[in-house]
Amino acid sequence: MHIPDGYLSPSTCAVLYAGAAAGWYSALKRLKRALLNRVIPLISVFAAFSFVVMMFNLPLPGGTTGHALGVTVAAIVLGPAGATLALSIAIAIQALFFGDGGISTLGANCFNMAIVGSLVAYVVYRLIAARAALTSRRRVVAAAIAGYLAVNAAALLAAIEFGIQPIFFHDASGTPLYAPYRLSVAIPAMMIGHLTFAGIAEAVIAAGVVAYLQVADPGLLRATSGLAQDASLESTELRPAAHSLRRLWIAIAVLMLLTPLGILAAGTAWGKWSPAQSPHAANRAPAVSAPVPMVPQGLQRLSKLWTAPFPAYAPAFVRSHSFGYLLSAVFGVGILLCLSLLAQSMVERYRRRGSSA
Amino acid sequence: MSGFLESTGMGFARAITQAMLSEKTARRRGLLQSLDPRVRVVGLFSLVLAVTLARRFAVVAALFAIAVLLALCSRVNLLTLVKRVWLVVLAFTGVIALPAIFVTPGRAIAAAGGVNITEQGLRTAALLVLRVETAVTFTTLLVLCTPWTEVLKALRALHLPKEAITMLAMTYRYVFLLVETTTQMFESRRSRRVGVLPAAEQRRMAARTAGVLLSKSMEMSNEVYLAMQSRGFRGEVNALSEFRMTMWDYAGLLAFLLTGGLAAWMGK
Amino acid sequence: MPPLFELREVCFNYDGIAALRGLSLQITQGERVALLGANGSGKSTLLRILDGLHLPSQGVVSFEGVALTSECLEDDRFALPFRRRVALVFPNPDMQLFNPTVFDEVAFAPLQLQWPKEKVMAAVNQTLELMGISQLRDRPPYRLSSGEKKRVALASVIVLDPDVLLLDEPTATLDPRSQSQVIDLIQQWKGSSKTVVTATHQLEIVEDIADRICVLQAGNIAATGTPQEILNHHELLLQANLVHAHRHSHGAVTHSHPHIHTHSKHEH
Repeated sequence: MHIPDGYLSPSTCAVLYAGAAAGWYSALKRLKRALLNRVIPLISVFAAFSFVVMMFNLPLPGGTTGHALGVTVAAIVLGPAGATLALSIAIAIQALFFGDGGISTLGANCFNMAIVGSLVAYVVYRLIAARAALTSRRRVVAAAIAGYLAVNAAALLAAIEFGIQPIFFHDASGTPLYAPYRLSVAIPAMMIGHLTFAGIAEAVIAAGVVAYLQVADPGLLRATSGLAQDASLESTELRPAAHSLRRLWIAIAVLMLLTPLGILAAGTAWGKWSPAQSPHAANRAPAVSAPVPMVPQGLQRLSKLWTAPFPAYAPAFVRSHSFGYLLSAVFGVGILLCLSLLAQSMVERYRRRGSSA
Repeated sequence: MSGFLESTGMGFARAITQAMLSEKTARRRGLLQSLDPRVRVVGLFSLVLAVTLARRFAVVAALFAIAVLLALCSRVNLLTLVKRVWLVVLAFTGVIALPAIFVTPGRAIAAAGGVNITEQGLRTAALLVLRVETAVTFTTLLVLCTPWTEVLKALRALHLPKEAITMLAMTYRYVFLLVETTTQMFESRRSRRVGVLPAAEQRRMAARTAGVLLSKSMEMSNEVYLAMQSRGFRGEVNALSEFRMTMWDYAGLLAFLLTGGLAAWMGK
Repeated sequence: MPPLFELREVCFNYDGIAALRGLSLQITQGERVALLGANGSGKSTLLRILDGLHLPSQGVVSFEGVALTSECLEDDRFALPFRRRVALVFPNPDMQLFNPTVFDEVAFAPLQLQWPKEKVMAAVNQTLELMGISQLRDRPPYRLSSGEKKRVALASVIVLDPDVLLLDEPTATLDPRSQSQVIDLIQQWKGSSKTVVTATHQLEIVEDIADRICVLQAGNIAATGTPQEILNHHELLLQANLVHAHRHSHGAVTHSHPHIHTHSKHEH
């Protein structure tokens, strides 16, 4: 999932660097409230750990192999701020030293995997694990789901970043200058690989490590457990206060709601960028372009569900399959989160009823 | 198909040989090695930027030629570059770029199996592959010709935050320790079994290895923190900055920036 | 002469387990003390308390009459001189070698104590010479043997010319030649004004490195005395789990012999 140099235009890189810088800054600020010098060796060792985990070549069902990111374990043990920094360091070393991922795209890679990945992993884990005991099976399941969603969230972002390149960055003859595939191709192409291989690899590692820690070293799970801390234990104080957790959750929800609106606005405001209105004939590929055969039927139908209701005067961009897939993905993740929230509150109610009986 | 232990072990070995290769090449007396590390970092990064900014195939090709020239002048073994960089990038990016030949809308110039090959498709695929090759070559040259510690010192001298540099340095150091620890764990497992385990068992082993590694890592970080404190660490990381720019370095810097700027401008 | 270190009824807990239980001890300047104890007896914890890395949960530890508290350890006026004068060497050198090269490692402590650049360079070069590792100056830690790592770890604290050396298991995991090199180094300090406190479970070296032995057992001092006194006290050594007993039987009778090796038993 590491994006090399050359796939993203300079302006895309710049925007994502800005986003990453914001993420790094807020992570550092949160950690400075604790003891930053205590945290330096912790983050470094964790970054080394993620680096090594990323090198594991996991055999997956079906005879394939996949790589995990280790972001979920980092988020569970260190919290999102620490995980952001640890993963960013690992990604930087991979880019600088191994050429795995580009320099111009370092911001993008950190944004996708270290910042958004950590946040999604942390939020989903906290939501599903709730106040379960440190050694309960629920935490293992929560870790698996969190890992799966985190990797796919990062992959989705990367796919979007790829997919908008040919729309905005092409030369006069219509040749895409950077990543050549539009959203309708980029999203399924990226997501299929991650919904299956990488997502499962991360889930395996996340669940496996949490299960191991529950037996060998449960104290490591305490910082993000949401359970009351033992005052005499030395805590690394990386667990954010409960109210900032809610803020994170609200932020994610709002972001998801805004995404389709954002694309809509972009389509309206920059109407002249829409291919259908481009002066050059070669560019006037039909906006509602025929999807590449590899897109599954179900996804096509789902995308029509979202795009069909839009009125005819909406920009052609909006009624394209690309937009449909994007909405499907975003809403899919949102639905999963809502379902887990619902399930969690139902279990709580059931348990309370059971205990009062 | 080799199992988890073998394939991961090979990945580790590749990382270690990469490190050793860097040390060897960095000691040779070549063009890049003769420049101040800060000039190398700024210069090569600016050329990567130029690769990204250029919009014309010819310009990117010229930058690639410059990369090859730099490699030759810095006594970098071209065969190494071919094996470790160019072929690898071709395999990965080539596979990704190939469908673009058929899928990109534009002027059809050939047909293959019922699908059109467009001129735009060929151009975009070639551009993508060449961009990636050139950029990775520049980054690789930096790392081959500069010891990691000097890369970090150069970044520090270029005002990257001290804490980030400390963490990069310590992480790099501990990657090797963790690789060594993991390799030992693998070897003890391998000696205790015969044949290849089923995939599910391998996954479990991988997860358990990761778990043990994590516990060791956390323990390590505690000890390291105490060791740092014991030697006076109070949060501020002080380093010796020993770099001094000579005329040769300024000339090199100028050459890099001019080339990059020219490429970006001409590439419009 | 007033004691250099004084501990009074010091207790310390680790994760709920009591590591030190009401330990009292005095160490005078110039003494060479060995803390003898099995694993888990609390000797490592004691050394760290002496170095101000942990604070006792109960009791007082003072250095030159000043009680070590978090306030004074955060005050540079006390902390910086303290960190220069008291040095701790960890049992596992990998925990102590967190810098990219040997040179950087040895330079770390002086830099943290804000010595001027020339003084740092001079001290580092001198120490590398002294420890016979000048040729290793640019090596990264993963390319060092365990003996070399130990010498680098020692160098990294000796560079400060400390007055107190706290050595935690200095000869464990070393091959015989490296062991004897470390012991020679410790013997060099005999009769100087340097105070050396060594924690070890290896009986065979204590005579060479200490004038006074404190036997630790279950978080407290079970006995103190000269090496001759302690080493001949078989009961005590057995109880403290520092020796093992062989049992062999003649018919219906079983003997138990404590089994220790000491140099004093050699005939020359």
